[in-house]
Amino acid sequence: MSNSHLFMKSGFPRAPLQNGLGRYVCQLQRITLKFCKNNGSSRGMRDFIENHLVDFAKENPGIVVYVKPRRHRTPVLVGEYLNGDREWLNCRNNTQEEISKWIDLLKTQNGSSSSLRLRKMWHTDVPSIQGPWTPFLLRSPETQGQVYPNTEASKPLETPQSATEKLIELFRQQQLEAGEEAHDLLSKKRAE
Amino acid sequence: MSLLRSATGFLALTRSLGAPPTVQTRRHIKRWVSPTLRELAHRQKKLGPQKPEPRSGFVEWNQRSELFAFGKRLGESFEMALLQRAFTERSFAQREEEKRRKLGIEEADLQMTDNSDLAKKGQVIARAYVEAFLQHQLPKVPKEGLQAIASYLLSTNTLAHVSTHLGTKDLIHSTEYPPSAESLAQSLQAVIGALADSSGVERAFLFVRDFICTQLNQKDLLDVWTPEEPLQLLEKICQERKLGEAEPRLIGDCGKNTVLAAYQVGIYANRQLLGKGFGEDLRTATETAAIDALQSLFDTHDNRRPFDFGVQLETKNVRLG
Repeated sequence: MSNSHLFMKSGFPRAPLQNGLGRYVCQLQRITLKFCKNNGSSRGMRDFIENHLVDFAKENPGIVVYVKPRRHRTPVLVGEYLNGDREWLNCRNNTQEEISKWIDLLKTQNGSSSSLRLRKMWHTDVPSIQGPWTPFLLRSPETQGQVYPNTEASKPLETPQSATEKLIELFRQQQLEAGEEAHDLLSKKRAE
Repeated sequence: MSLLRSATGFLALTRSLGAPPTVQTRRHIKRWVSPTLRELAHRQKKLGPQKPEPRSGFVEWNQRSELFAFGKRLGESFEMALLQRAFTERSFAQREEEKRRKLGIEEADLQMTDNSDLAKKGQVIARAYVEAFLQHQLPKVPKEGLQAIASYLLSTNTLAHVSTHLGTKDLIHSTEYPPSAESLAQSLQAVIGALADSSGVERAFLFVRDFICTQLNQKDLLDVWTPEEPLQLLEKICQERKLGEAEPRLIGDCGKNTVLAAYQVGIYANRQLLGKGFGEDLRTATETAAIDALQSLFDTHDNRRPFDFGVQLETKNVRLG
């Protein structure tokens, strides 16, 4: 995304008017083909109009087609959509196959896609399924009948061993080991 | 500057006089372009923001083709005259008649029909079908809820939204452009009426289902209809359905007498938990719990089975009042 995209209309890819749920409505409502009758840059557009335009109009009776000759100007495709968008396409030096493809693109999209910046790559209408968090959500059963203040429940969940406790533990261990050794000595002597 | 320019022009002239007469190759800097554009921009700014031009005023506009395409786009076949009438507003018709009268055309010819009768007919059809559809899809919701949802679907805003997305904005003959929400909604109703007249009331029903009822898709029904006194309604419903007396009970509380107090209330009837909710005080907690219970009783939770928009209601089930 470049800086010029920052001021573009932003949004998410949505089907307008729940399109396709009841029935599908082609969102392109009219298309205007502008061309020059003798300039070379309009050659492809003229070929398209001569060979394919009538078939296109017959196949798509829901799209109004306007043809507008004008002198010495670049050939242009203008599509108008049901949501009010208008898309302008420069077709200078395009062949008739290219023009067919562009028209197919206009026919199958639901607005001017090139003038929409996608705000994010994902979107959801329902951000949370389980709803807002409360202290009562996923509560453990033991806390159900607890009476406060409660020393057991007021303790932190995890208390790290303090230095004093560590020292005491070491001392105990030493004493124990020493005690075992003394015990062994005594038992040996008794055996003798 | 202009003196300099005329001087260079004069110099060029003398040079061309001296040289053999060939094609003149001198190129001017078009010094009128920038001031003209500036002046035009200045005038446009002085005029202020302008209303958008109606699309029907453009050179590339053919009303007949547009009307034909409108019907084909929706997959319907309309009678052209009826469709044209459906898009003619009363105010526009009156203005046209006034114009003709001024031109001195006789009274007998002053017959410009408008869409008010078609709109009335379409309104009746739309209301009847939407009510039947809701009755079929939400069988457990009481009458007032169904009415609220129906009036949301048939409100001017919803109808205007549907109408603009079907492309009626450019087709409407109205005294103002862009047409107001009322005229958009009215023309949609008139289109439904025209469809019933041209291809039968069944097609009109399907049109209402496909374009108006589908607006309920993914809609939170609680946004459309929230009962004002949920606890009283719940008690009434419990009495009607013989579920026993609804009784709110405190399930849990947290942070009492603090700013962040939270209470959880469950609604029981006959020792059965109907619904639970939480809130910052007992009253709101009870209310949310009652709404939750109502939602599960009416089967209008978010996770309910989605609406079936392919349903074919029999015509005899739709009561045209």
